[in-house]
Amino acid sequence: MTDERPDPADGAEEAPSTPEPAPAQHPVSAALTPALSSTILATLEHQGQTAFVVRSPDQRALLEHLRFEQNFEYLKDVTAIDFLGRDTVERFQLVYVLHRLTDHLTIRVHAWLSEEADEAPSVVDLWDLARWGERETHDMFGIVFDGNPDLRRLLMPEDYPAFPLLKDYPLKGRGERRQFPYLQPRGGEMVEGTPPPYPVTIGRGMHTPDYIEEVRRESRPKGE
Amino acid sequence: MGLESLISGEGFLTTKINDLVNWARKSALWPMPFGTACCAIEMMATFSGRYDISRFGAEVVRFSPRQSDLLIVSGRISIKMMPVLQKIYRQMPEPKWVISMGACASCGGVFDTYTLVQGVDQFIPVDVYVPGCPPRPESLLDAVFEIQQIIEGEKLDSGKHGS
Repeated sequence: MTDERPDPADGAEEAPSTPEPAPAQHPVSAALTPALSSTILATLEHQGQTAFVVRSPDQRALLEHLRFEQNFEYLKDVTAIDFLGRDTVERFQLVYVLHRLTDHLTIRVHAWLSEEADEAPSVVDLWDLARWGERETHDMFGIVFDGNPDLRRLLMPEDYPAFPLLKDYPLKGRGERRQFPYLQPRGGEMVEGTPPPYPVTIGRGMHTPDYIEEVRRESRPKGE
Repeated sequence: MGLESLISGEGFLTTKINDLVNWARKSALWPMPFGTACCAIEMMATFSGRYDISRFGAEVVRFSPRQSDLLIVSGRISIKMMPVLQKIYRQMPEPKWVISMGACASCGGVFDTYTLVQGVDQFIPVDVYVPGCPPRPESLLDAVFEIQQIIEGEKLDSGKHGS
């Protein structure tokens, strides 16, 4: 990868580098059908890795093509990015990282997903690994994948009231980590009590039951 | 050790029940390891031959809470794990003691996030806290000594352990 970088001495007087479109002869780009090429908003090249940017749900046809026509048989990861507050096409971006084992070529497909969109198409029928990748993405962002047979929470508790990787969700949560009784053995049996007051005062107002109920209402996944 | 020479015939000794029971309890602690992170690695080192916790009578590690009396919480406890920890704690028979090992179990450590309990002592009683990230095996041994001192000072009729 290092030999692809421009010489620092040459690029000194040039404009700051921006993501350049991949050359037209990139093998993956060249093998795309015209219909698929027209859906691609941009082609990014970073550190020798190519990425196609599309708008959801166009990624479904593109991924099908890459899976069956170009033989990208290995899905490395499915995840998402929340661009809240940034000047981007849409709020969410789904990221699919694909790998071809014959020549060890890795490419990415980025799909912009609107905040108002009900769901994104699932790719479980193309790669089995998408089951857990989409499940985790649903767990963290609340994105619903149409066609995934099992979208239960993966990492968080099943009754967790929010989607914690959303950028408008506070880092320290909204009091979920304090919702346990205090156990105290007394006279041979276990007595439950409310936990002692949290020693930190910052954010105490957030821990009222009304607030938690409000959060639970607001953060219901789309499409339910 | 020559102890046999002292027992000539039908020997007997006099002591207080309280002292005898406490001596028995502190000399045979059966730990229940609740290892969820890197502190558990140090805990394993403490149990193994180099540091050898069996020198102090606490080597019978029980992976069943019903057979143990010393809960060692070593590692960060997430909000998904806290109900499990409470269930384990409930299943342990009285009397029982709890060591909160390391920064994460004691106060959440550096992980001040939505998913991590900020100190298990908010939800179960803790007898001894061990500082460190992770603590050295010597620190855990020291915590066991502290537990033994706590046991020495306990009164059987205090009602603390349901007697």
